[in-house]
Amino acid sequence: MITEDSLAAYIKKAIPDANVYIADKTGVMDHFLIQVVSDVFKGKNMLDCHRLVYGALKEPMQDGRVHAVEIKTQTRSGE
Amino acid sequence: MGESNEEAIKEEIKKNKIIIYGKGTKEAPRCGFTVETIEFFNRFGYPFEVVDVLENIEKRNALSKMTNWPTLPKVFINGTFYGDTDVLEPMAKKGELEPLLKEAFKEEK
Repeated sequence: MITEDSLAAYIKKAIPDANVYIADKTGVMDHFLIQVVSDVFKGKNMLDCHRLVYGALKEPMQDGRVHAVEIKTQTRSGE
Repeated sequence: MGESNEEAIKEEIKKNKIIIYGKGTKEAPRCGFTVETIEFFNRFGYPFEVVDVLENIEKRNALSKMTNWPTLPKVFINGTFYGDTDVLEPMAKKGELEPLLKEAFKEEK
């Protein structure tokens, strides 16, 4: 199990300027909706944006604390 | 072994205009995200193939390496990797997916 705070910390470690919004989709904290707003996504295609978030979550995904995530990425200007 | 998996995948994505690597089959999906992806493609009415790689760790690893993408399902359209519905749903909303599918299936119409 992982807390929402700890998830957000993983993302901020990899993407320091990120605003992170997390929702627990199942109520048992293993399937999250994660929305990340950062200008690091500027000019990147959606696959690469999501790859950045998966990269940030590599550890909790590999050790099984996070089973599944739904990812939404956005730049500050809303792209 | 890893090489032959990669060859098999390349062959599969060449043969199927839309292919979903997921958990379970089209008739008996074994993961909520795989269900979601099947339902997503049912909306468009084009034929698609679902390949169950749940138990095939080596093939899953080969897929992850080829796509630099850690999770299942993985969707390929016309030989190109498009991630999952987190990517495809926004593309569909922006009207980017329909032309892509039309292009992929144009020879068959």
